[in-house]
Amino acid sequence: MELIFSFENTVPWIILLPLLGALINGIVGRKSSRKVVENIAVGAMALAFFLALFSFGYIWILDGVVIDASVLKEGGVQKVSDAFQITFQSPIKGILGIQSALWQPIEGIRIIIEGGAIQLSPSLDGGILQQGALITSHIYEWFSLKFYEFQVPVFIRFTMDALSALMTLVVSGIGLLIHIYSKGYMSEEKSYARFFTYLNLFSASMLILVLASNLPLMFVGWEGVGLCSYLLIGFWWENPTYAAAGKKAFIANRIGDFGVLIGMFLLVSTLHTFEFSEISRLASLANDAGGQALSAVDSKRIATLISSFQLGPLALGSVATLACLFLFLGCSGKSAQIPLYVWLPDAMAGPTPVSALIHAATMVTSGIYLCCRLSNLFLLSDTAMMTIAIVGSLTALLAASVALVQNEMKKVLAYSTVSQLGFMFAAVGVGAFASGFFHVFTHAFFKACLFLGAGSVMHAVGAHGDADMRKLGGLRSILPKTHWTFLVSCLAIAGVPLTSGFFSKDEILLGATRLASTSQSHAWVGWFVFVVLVLAATMTAFYMLRLYFRTFSGSYRSAQATSSETDQQETSHEDHDHGYAAHPHESPWTMTVPLAILGVGAVIVGYLNLEPLHIHFNAWGDWLKPVVRDVQGGATWAPLVAMVGGFSAMAIGIGTAWVLYKGKEKDILPDLIPARLHALMMNKWKVDELYSAVLLKPVRALAGLSATFDRIIVDGVLTKLSSTIVKLASYGVTRLQTGQFTAYGLVLLLGVFFVTGWFVYPHPVIEKTEIKGANVRFVAAQGMGYQYRWDFEGDGEYDTPWGTANTALHRYSGKKFDHIALIAGPKNEKVALHMSKPEALPVSPQHARIVSPGVFAVLKDDGVLIRPNGYAIRLNGRMIKKEEVLVRPGSKGFVAGYPFKVVAIVSPKLTVKNVFGNLNHETVELEVMPSGDRRSPARKTKARISRVDLSRESIQVGHQHK
Amino acid sequence: MEIQIGHYLALAALLFGIGVAGFFLRRNILIQLMSIELMLNAANLVFISFNRWMPENHLGQTYSFFVIAIAAAEAAVGLAIVISFFRLNKHVDSEKASLLKN
Repeated sequence: MELIFSFENTVPWIILLPLLGALINGIVGRKSSRKVVENIAVGAMALAFFLALFSFGYIWILDGVVIDASVLKEGGVQKVSDAFQITFQSPIKGILGIQSALWQPIEGIRIIIEGGAIQLSPSLDGGILQQGALITSHIYEWFSLKFYEFQVPVFIRFTMDALSALMTLVVSGIGLLIHIYSKGYMSEEKSYARFFTYLNLFSASMLILVLASNLPLMFVGWEGVGLCSYLLIGFWWENPTYAAAGKKAFIANRIGDFGVLIGMFLLVSTLHTFEFSEISRLASLANDAGGQALSAVDSKRIATLISSFQLGPLALGSVATLACLFLFLGCSGKSAQIPLYVWLPDAMAGPTPVSALIHAATMVTSGIYLCCRLSNLFLLSDTAMMTIAIVGSLTALLAASVALVQNEMKKVLAYSTVSQLGFMFAAVGVGAFASGFFHVFTHAFFKACLFLGAGSVMHAVGAHGDADMRKLGGLRSILPKTHWTFLVSCLAIAGVPLTSGFFSKDEILLGATRLASTSQSHAWVGWFVFVVLVLAATMTAFYMLRLYFRTFSGSYRSAQATSSETDQQETSHEDHDHGYAAHPHESPWTMTVPLAILGVGAVIVGYLNLEPLHIHFNAWGDWLKPVVRDVQGGATWAPLVAMVGGFSAMAIGIGTAWVLYKGKEKDILPDLIPARLHALMMNKWKVDELYSAVLLKPVRALAGLSATFDRIIVDGVLTKLSSTIVKLASYGVTRLQTGQFTAYGLVLLLGVFFVTGWFVYPHPVIEKTEIKGANVRFVAAQGMGYQYRWDFEGDGEYDTPWGTANTALHRYSGKKFDHIALIAGPKNEKVALHMSKPEALPVSPQHARIVSPGVFAVLKDDGVLIRPNGYAIRLNGRMIKKEEVLVRPGSKGFVAGYPFKVVAIVSPKLTVKNVFGNLNHETVELEVMPSGDRRSPARKTKARISRVDLSRESIQVGHQHK
Repeated sequence: MEIQIGHYLALAALLFGIGVAGFFLRRNILIQLMSIELMLNAANLVFISFNRWMPENHLGQTYSFFVIAIAAAEAAVGLAIVISFFRLNKHVDSEKASLLKN
């Protein structure tokens, strides 16, 4: 970094400072003193405002600068030494510009030129005219999406251009004033740090919303302000009504946010970008089709944008129309338009500074801000514009009619805010974006001033929640400062000439008449908007002056005993029963100074646009021209009609209020209009009741139904039933659980006895028997303290004494075998060992086995007597056909071509004794080749195996425990 | 008479038996804890005797240390439980300690 200071780095700090303030106050605020808390909060806002002002000035100086084109090299201007000619628009800008150039001129200009988002057009003398300067501050890439071949990155990137610079000034400037005001207003509050934390967090969120360069980042701020609004409306959450108001606001906003998301997705899926500048560029190209050469990608995107959106067989209008309508749904949630406006009047439950900052000056205008930001897009869709215009004007009328009869100061102001927001949307709808935003700007001043004035009154008389006008009056002499600022703001909102409200409201009406005079197909929209807005403006003038007279003129009604008037009308607030403080006092300077500043602003900010006075000076429109599209032209009668309409509305409204309320103690409005109509207006046209009947009741019914389902099916059948089954099934086992640990110990002890017994009792296991002819080697399993004893023949006589060796070797000889088997099978087949068929044998099946059907074998003392029965028997090389032959053990031969052999089956028995003298034994059954003859058994076995295959299979040990 | 391993083992078995009997026959949790200690010490005695009988690798002594450590931990936890049990119920009767029944 060669430069310590750069405007690129300034913009993020505008957001970071309040965020840091919120962080510090949120973490350590509870333990800090009030002084520290308020200094951190107000200091952060003051610094942010200072930086915003600074950045604004920078943009202002560079706006409209003419740069000598000859110095623009390929990569832009490189260094300060590349001195180049800058021509400033006005002398004052020149002076300031030189100073700024001394400071750091190049960085900013380079950014602007390389940014590419601004329009550079050749000026007269071959230079480049800089229109719409901006500061772009790129932080990092947040995440990235992929749409087919398009990579759509989402940046944490802040852009301060003409539009967002103005909004930043409003947010940080009025935010600062309201922070200062809060120091006085909230001085009695217990949760002081919490309040300032929320307020700072709100400012940061709002600044993110305003400064974001793309939709997702804007949505972060959008949700952030929604959250802070919820937190601040329910700031006094101990009161359930206030908490409910917070929830209502949050839910209404959520419905709108859903629309914003859908609109955002529609845009990104067609345009493959989230950046406002890119959306604006493409939309403006789509507006002025022809003339310019489009790249293939751009023309395809634009074609998709204006193509019809198909949902199955349904054609839902163009993609742009749908996107705009969904975005407008979001705007109607945040900016309190029909049908989602119902939350804003209830939002007055929050502290009054909050009402002024969030619910009058800044957050609720973010819908209009979004529309202006995407003005090019909205202009693509006549349907969307028409919808916005009609919804906006109807909202203005509806809210104004409710405000006419209300008795609480903040309630009147709340409906007035809804009404004024309707004016702004009507302006947007007729295409007068800059005028709508102008009203945002002026409204921010006078409405904030009005709210703070109401707060000052409430502070003075000790009213909580809201101030009932029936118990006020005559405060002019008691609260002079509050009175004067309140009066000025009332006149401004009423549209008295030469106040800011006059200019901005006239501009909106002018927009309507312009549309009426220029458009053929939508002229009726222009007239409709004009008529409805004039009506609404008349009401506005009337109810504002009514509010003023009822509060400040006449005598202070709470000084007397409870008036009879309060008893007549039904009340919704608890504190209506008793009057307010008998001796009100003027508020401290922290409250009156912001009031004064805002009051001055309420008058002078209108002079940015003198068109309504038929003076050709429109600094506002010129300033916003590079960013915001505005409809121009119109017939010559249009301004005149607008002027007459606006002026007469103001005059009639104020005149009526003057006649009816000047110096009067009693509200005579209920006597003038029919009682039923008055009751309806008093109850806000019963819209809340309608929503309750149409939306809440069915949802509640559904909730009740599913709750019943949950109770009976889920809790009852599924849970209770299954748990009961398990309980019943486990009844016996649960009895075992006595809860007495000695019982468990007893079971443990029994277990110990059992395991010990198991290990102590001898377990004779003959693990391995290696048979080699008549020689068998036995291996028994070892055990601690075991002694072994063998009975190899299984005849009951032990062949060995007790010994500790677990192996034994025995050679089977002689004729002491259990039984002898004849085993035979085909030569080439695998297994030829058949268990004997009992019917084929004359002897007991346990004592002989034979294969070869038809051959009979009889067990004799010294061998098996075979009767060939017609089969050819070959034994030891001799053919036997008829006579019986005695086959001795070990003999081999063939029966009808099948080889056979004779083996002995023995059952050796192992007896094991442990140290305690317990005995146990195991018997296995073995087939061994008895050594009946004199020849060496090993050699003989070997020879036999090599000659007869099947013998290997037959020498198997079958363990049979007996 | 020469003292042999069998005598040691008999003593250990006696101690262990006393411990088991104490644990099962008494109803005072403190006494029962002491009986457990007795059983652990009987086990220790067995380890030590076998170590004497087979002294090459000191396995018995090593294990007896383990047993002592475990006994200490057991005493700490057990006494803590007994104390909180007493604070709750104002008695230390294990027969009445059946909160987890069924």
